[in-house]
Amino acid sequence: MNALRGIIAVAGFQIRRLLAPQRIALALVGAAFPAAVILAVRRVADLNLDVLALLLYALVPEAVCMLGLLVTMCPVVADELERGTWQHVAVRPGGRRSLLLGTFLAAVAWSSLVALLALALALAAAGLPDSGPLAPMFAVLVLVSCVGRAALFSLPAVIVPKRALVASVAVAFVVEYLAGFLPAVINQLTVSLRLRSLLVRWMGWERKLPPELSLIIDTQPPWVQIVAVVALASVFLFAASIILAGRQFPPAEES
Amino acid sequence: MIEVDQLVKQFRAADGSLVEAVDGVSFSVAPSEIVGLLGANGAGKTTTMRLLATLLSPTAGTARIAGHDIVTDPLGVRRHLGYLSATTGVPDRLTPREVLEFAGRLHGLDRAAIADRTATLLHTLGLESCESRPCGRLSSGQRQRVSLGRALVHNPPALVLDEPTNALDVVGARDLLNLLDTLRDAGRTILVSTHRLHEIERRCDRFVVIHAGRVVAQGTQREMAAEPGSLERAFFAAVEGSGGA
Repeated sequence: MNALRGIIAVAGFQIRRLLAPQRIALALVGAAFPAAVILAVRRVADLNLDVLALLLYALVPEAVCMLGLLVTMCPVVADELERGTWQHVAVRPGGRRSLLLGTFLAAVAWSSLVALLALALALAAAGLPDSGPLAPMFAVLVLVSCVGRAALFSLPAVIVPKRALVASVAVAFVVEYLAGFLPAVINQLTVSLRLRSLLVRWMGWERKLPPELSLIIDTQPPWVQIVAVVALASVFLFAASIILAGRQFPPAEES
Repeated sequence: MIEVDQLVKQFRAADGSLVEAVDGVSFSVAPSEIVGLLGANGAGKTTTMRLLATLLSPTAGTARIAGHDIVTDPLGVRRHLGYLSATTGVPDRLTPREVLEFAGRLHGLDRAAIADRTATLLHTLGLESCESRPCGRLSSGQRQRVSLGRALVHNPPALVLDEPTNALDVVGARDLLNLLDTLRDAGRTILVSTHRLHEIERRCDRFVVIHAGRVVAQGTQREMAAEPGSLERAFFAAVEGSGGA
C-alpha cells in the first residue's frame, strides 16, 4: 500500500510537470502530424482501407508513441540529477522504485493520450466512411506500443541517465527496427514484432503477405502477442528497478 | 543515535586510479546533540553524509542510524533519517505545501498524517505566509526551509544536514540554525556539515574535523570553541597538523 502511494505520487507529479504550456503545445503539434501527412497523401493518391492502416501504423503506434516516450520516459533519472532533487527521492524507502514506476505510468498515460488524439485526427483527416473499425484496433496498438516501449526505454534511462535520450534512440533502432525484423529468436523479444503481428492479424493480411514477409510476423493469436508485451515490459521494469536500486552517484556526477 | 564505524569509500577516477574519498572515518552523535562535521571543500564531508543517507554504499566499514545498519538495513535507515543535501533542489512549480505533501506520500504516510505533518512543518518553519506560492518564486532561505521540511516530513529521530546554510544570507542562516536548536531540544540527533565555522561554533555540542577523508580531530564545544574564533584556530591546527592546509 505504501509503495503504491509513492508510485501514484510520482506519477501525479510527473503528469503535472507535463502539463506545462510548452509541453502541451509540443504534444498538440505531434498529435496533428499524422493527420497532416494523411491530408498530404490524399492530395496525390486515393486512400483505401489497407493504405490508411499502413500509414496509421507507421505514424501513430510507431512514430508518435516512440517520440512521446522518448521525451517522457528517458529523462527519468537525469532530470532529478539535474534539478538536485535526486537525493530527496532516493533517500525515501522505496523512493527509487517509485520514481521509476511512477514515471513509467505517467509516460504511458501521456504518450497514449497524445497518440489517441493523433489517431482521432488522422481518421478524421482520412475521411474514409468504412474506417470505423480501425479506431479500436489502433487504440489497442497504441497502448501495447506505449507499455512495451516505455518499459524498454527505462533501461537506458537508469543505465546511462546522462545520455538516456541518445541511448534510447540507439536502442529503438537496434532492438526494435533491426533485431525486430530479424527472422530469428531475437525478434521474439521485441515489441515491434508483436505490433506488426497484431496489425497483420486484425487487418486479415496473413494470406495476402508474400512468403518472405511472413517470416517477420508471428502467427500466434492476438492474446499471445499482448501477453508477450506485458511479460517483456515486466522483465524490463524489474531489471531497471534492480539496476536503479544499486545505482550510485558520486557528488561529482551530479552536475 | 548515529554511529559511524571505520567508514571507507573509494571511487574509481577517470584515469582508472582509486581515490579514497573517505578513509576509515569513525565518530558518533547522541540524541539531543548537534555535531558539526567540519572540513574544507573536497575533505570528504558530503561523501560521508551520502554514505549515512544510503545514497552511496561503503567500500568498507559501516554506520548505524537509530540502530539500523546502512549496509544490511538501508530501508530501516531511510525510515529513521532526514537528509538535507547541499544542493537545494525543490521543484519550481510546486508550492511548499505540495512539496511537503509529495514527500509525505513518497514516505507512504496516510492522508491524515500528511495533513498533520504538513501543517506542523509549515508553521514550525515559518512558511505559512508563502505556502501557496510556487517554490520558483521563493527566496533561497525559504527554499532551504522547504528542503528542510521535506527532510522532516516523516518525523525522523536523526538528521544529516549537508551544508544547510550554504545558500543563505546571515539572517536566513541564523533562522535555520535557531531551528536546529529547537530540533535538538526536541531530542533529535543532528549531524551538520559546514565550512563556515563562525556560524556554528556556538551551536554545536561537539565537532569532528575531517581532512583528506580522515578524521583529524574531534572534541566538545568546550574543548574546541571555548572562546569566539577558537574553533577556526583549532580547525587549522588539526588540518595543518595532519599534513595539509
